[in-house]
Amino acid sequence: MGESRSVLYFVGPAFLLLILVLGFPAMAAVLQSFELLWVPEAGFSLANYQRLVTDPGFHKAFANTAVYVSCVVAFHMSLGLGAALLLNADIPGKWLFRVAAILPWTIPDVIGGIVWRFMFDTLPGFVNGALLRMALVDQPLEWLGHPKLAMFSLIVAEGWRGYPFIMLILLAGLQAIPQHLYEAAAVDGANRWHCFRYITLPSLKKMFMIALVLDVIWECRLFGMVYSMTGGGPGNATEVISIMTYRQYFEYYNNGYAAAIAVALALLMLAVSTPYLRMSMREER
Amino acid sequence: MVTNPRFRILTFIGLGALMVYNLLPFYWMTMSSFKTTLEVISFPVTFMPDAPTLDAYRSIWMQEGFPVYFWNSIVTSGSTAILSSVFGVFAAYGFSRFAFRGKALLMTVMLGSQMLPGILLVGPYFEIMSIIELYNTRSGLVLALTTITLPFSVWMLKGYIDTLPVEIDQAAMIDGASRLQTLLMVILPNILPGLVATMTFAFLLAWGDVLWALCLISEPAVQPMTLGVLRLVGQFRVEWAQIMAATVIASSIPAFFYVILQRYLVQGFAGSAVKD
Repeated sequence: MGESRSVLYFVGPAFLLLILVLGFPAMAAVLQSFELLWVPEAGFSLANYQRLVTDPGFHKAFANTAVYVSCVVAFHMSLGLGAALLLNADIPGKWLFRVAAILPWTIPDVIGGIVWRFMFDTLPGFVNGALLRMALVDQPLEWLGHPKLAMFSLIVAEGWRGYPFIMLILLAGLQAIPQHLYEAAAVDGANRWHCFRYITLPSLKKMFMIALVLDVIWECRLFGMVYSMTGGGPGNATEVISIMTYRQYFEYYNNGYAAAIAVALALLMLAVSTPYLRMSMREER
Repeated sequence: MVTNPRFRILTFIGLGALMVYNLLPFYWMTMSSFKTTLEVISFPVTFMPDAPTLDAYRSIWMQEGFPVYFWNSIVTSGSTAILSSVFGVFAAYGFSRFAFRGKALLMTVMLGSQMLPGILLVGPYFEIMSIIELYNTRSGLVLALTTITLPFSVWMLKGYIDTLPVEIDQAAMIDGASRLQTLLMVILPNILPGLVATMTFAFLLAWGDVLWALCLISEPAVQPMTLGVLRLVGQFRVEWAQIMAATVIASSIPAFFYVILQRYLVQGFAGSAVKD
């Protein structure tokens, strides 16, 4: 039938383009990680993956990523839920709050990182300035110079940048809950907490899970914010996997090793996104 | 729902606290950008500029080549948006209007491709772009950014085409229109707002990128805004007034468009899984 042929003309070009700009480079990265491409003497080797298992630098980057992603995502989800509930309330001037609420998310992450770097700067920074003025500290803190504080600062900064989007997803979920559920509950004598616990939370579950999965994926691959705010430092205290990969490739020229790290990260992210992808596939059927 | 006054006050306090957290960095970057080179690094800090000045803006605009970076960002992001929506609109129509074997799988592959980290691809891109001599060109950067924007555009446009009833396609085809004519003459005019929203998002995704630019551009003459600001930080560590002026410029465009388009945001970025 002509119909089934003509779908090729519509879907085909985009797919070919995607294979060209995404499929081939991804394959190339896999080949690179096995030392099969762009090396003087190509030959299959597992050395890069062996190195991955034993390299303390990678273990550190992995641990940093785990700490960073779990803290940031927890931060996003709780603040996002809180903000969505607040903005769902019927208050005057709501649109103004809504506009201000999404602003942090609109800023390019690398720019956000630069602004927060200046916020946390030791002497001319805002945070120390405000803390000193309020006499909460006696001397400036080295926010970005101390390993633990640097990770903390990064989490505050990326928490700020990322939560508005979670808020928007959850707000969409809240607004899709039929009002008559609440009215019926009120008739039955339910109080505010009952409504929240037995209507709002269960209805939000699906949106919450989608937001959670998307956020984990976005945070796992975050680059610009970390690169511009701490550059992975001090030392390697905030060196997450994406920063480590970049450094190995473009600073130390360990191309095969960098590719192996990136392949490991990609596999991890595909694993995380599988439930989401399966759900999406079911909905398409 | 019944709202009692005490609950209302608590809501306002909560929102107020949130707004302070949200807006402080914007306050700080704007105030700092109006300070003099000396005041911005003075200690103890001033929370308002003593003598507000536009010197920082003047110097990045006149001396640091920012008009060029700004233009590069517009050209690169604009081309990316056009490229991905042209390819995207055809694919979206195909996915929306045809039933074929493997469709769900293909769409999932599209979505899944967005889950791949950019850091996986930048290394091979660096090698390939050097081989085909597109390293340090805006065209090379556009091709690379398409990896982010194309799957996104297909999904978002499909969502819009899905909202149109199939009957309008059928009516057009009964009148003798081909599939292609139906798409161009009937579907496109009807999804125009959605198409504009999709292109704007693609533009903004490209505008906000720094990873690809960092790996594929070393020549300042072709670098985009984000990379220009980043390199300014590395170059003059203490010129914070200039750097903050640059961040104000680089973030004002996306802020403006995202705020205008905020009702399209959720569907656009979270895909069809969140359609209610």
